[in-house]
Amino acid sequence: MPLADQDATPDSAVLRDEAFPTVDRRFGENSPRLLVAHTWMQTQRLLIRLARDPMTFVFGLALPIFFLVVMNIVLGDAISSVSGHSALYGSVPLVTLIGAMNGASVGVVGIITERADGLLARLWVVPVHRASGLLARIASEAIRVVVNSFVLLCVGLFMGLRFEQGVLAGLAWLCIPVVFGMAFATLALTVAVYWPSTTLVEAITLVSALLLFFCTGFVPLDQYPQWIQPVVEHQPLSYATEVMRGLSLGNPVLGPLGGTLLWSAGIVIACAVPMVFGYRRASMRG
Amino acid sequence: MSTGVAREQARPATDVVVTTALAAARPKPSTFGQWWILTTRLVEPTLRNGDVLTTIVAVVVFAVGWYIPLNHMMGARSGMSSYAQFLMPLIALQGISFAAITGALHAATDSVKGINRRFDSMPIAPMTPLVARMSAGVYRCAVATAAALITGHVIGFRFYRGLEYAVGFCVLLLLIGMVLSFMADLLGGYSRNPEATTQWLMLPQLIFGLLSVGIQPAEHFPDWIQPIVRNQPISQFIYALRALGGDSTPAAGSVTWSVIGPSVAWLVGVTIVMVPSSLILLLRRP
Repeated sequence: MPLADQDATPDSAVLRDEAFPTVDRRFGENSPRLLVAHTWMQTQRLLIRLARDPMTFVFGLALPIFFLVVMNIVLGDAISSVSGHSALYGSVPLVTLIGAMNGASVGVVGIITERADGLLARLWVVPVHRASGLLARIASEAIRVVVNSFVLLCVGLFMGLRFEQGVLAGLAWLCIPVVFGMAFATLALTVAVYWPSTTLVEAITLVSALLLFFCTGFVPLDQYPQWIQPVVEHQPLSYATEVMRGLSLGNPVLGPLGGTLLWSAGIVIACAVPMVFGYRRASMRG
Repeated sequence: MSTGVAREQARPATDVVVTTALAAARPKPSTFGQWWILTTRLVEPTLRNGDVLTTIVAVVVFAVGWYIPLNHMMGARSGMSSYAQFLMPLIALQGISFAAITGALHAATDSVKGINRRFDSMPIAPMTPLVARMSAGVYRCAVATAAALITGHVIGFRFYRGLEYAVGFCVLLLLIGMVLSFMADLLGGYSRNPEATTQWLMLPQLIFGLLSVGIQPAEHFPDWIQPIVRNQPISQFIYALRALGGDSTPAAGSVTWSVIGPSVAWLVGVTIVMVPSSLILLLRRP
């Protein structure tokens, strides 16, 4: 007599075949129909992880807000006397972008530890859409940047930033850090799958510090020495800052917008193929 | 009865074993040798693990990041012969605070990985690991000081008062560095998350460093914050270092007790409070 029949009552749910969920295999694991569902599932997972990590708030909110307040006290007067309008129109966009960049390091640490713990390998052997892992990481970054930028915008409004162009310009203002943040997250993830070391966090901080110091949102362009002005003018953070400044003050935005989109698209195109191959390698070899 | 006799006879034999075990020559470790080994354990890997590189890069990035954008705008406001001369104390203080933060990272890593408890269980004098960590802290501060002096020289800082005041500059800087390292070591030893500690320690560095007289003179700050800016310890250190560095104009201040005294008082005061309280914490048996 089989063991199971002896110990269990006949109507035990565990031992009946129909108690197990029927697996819906109408679509292959890489079917486009599953992509959205799987990506959303993983995005939720990553957002819960982000929300539970205090570093998300340190990098994304605490450091940028402190920096904004302190910069406004220290340099606010000097910059507004040089540029003719409040320094906040440049510094709020700048810290929003810095928050988007530095916050990406939480996701980077996430992918490094998940690789080391074997979660990436586990997800590779279960029927999950192959593209959903990477897409979910970028989507969760985008959602984080929206929330982050909104909070920083509220801080800016509280300190005296105003939108002369109405609510629509405000919404467009919020889109710029998202576009740039997604491009930067792509770059950071690409580096992270090839170079899984927590030193990357310091590297991101360093790169963002350099971009911050040499950005038109920090000090007006004509204050920099002549020889470095082209670099300052054409770096991605300056373009994004100028779009956001233009949206709040009513300056022309088309030129810098083109620059921002070109930089972001360039970063994404350059990183896409290496990122996909690197992610596959990271998933298959632990 | 006979078993009792047997027991009586057996006892001396075990006694002999026990006493010979106790009488065996115990190792007499030299405290100096242990200190040297524990110090080299911390100092030796700094070239390989990127500590020295990170410190130098951080010093250079922040020196260049303040000097190039602000030189034009702040140079005239500073009232000294050049903005580099004005900025040098802040660059130097930032350098040693980076060194102290790196020390906190290592203290936190040691504490999390359990090596401190291991040392507690070994025949090591209770203060030796702490003294070794402090010696490594002096080494890191010396590296940061050298990096800051070279960077400062490149952007145009010079010692105007001769050799003995230049030595005084370095000695004061190293003393501040030791006190900072001591505080950072204490904080790091009690934290559970090394990476988070380093990021949190950036905040006080940012706030105290920027809201000081290092970037611009106190009278250019908003009225309400001027008393805080002028009297906080970092500003007092900056006044003292600036006086020791000297200038071709009299704006640097003279080396008198009214300029140097507050710095010395801060250092002595913090030491008097910190050392006994940390000894109580460190020597407490869990």
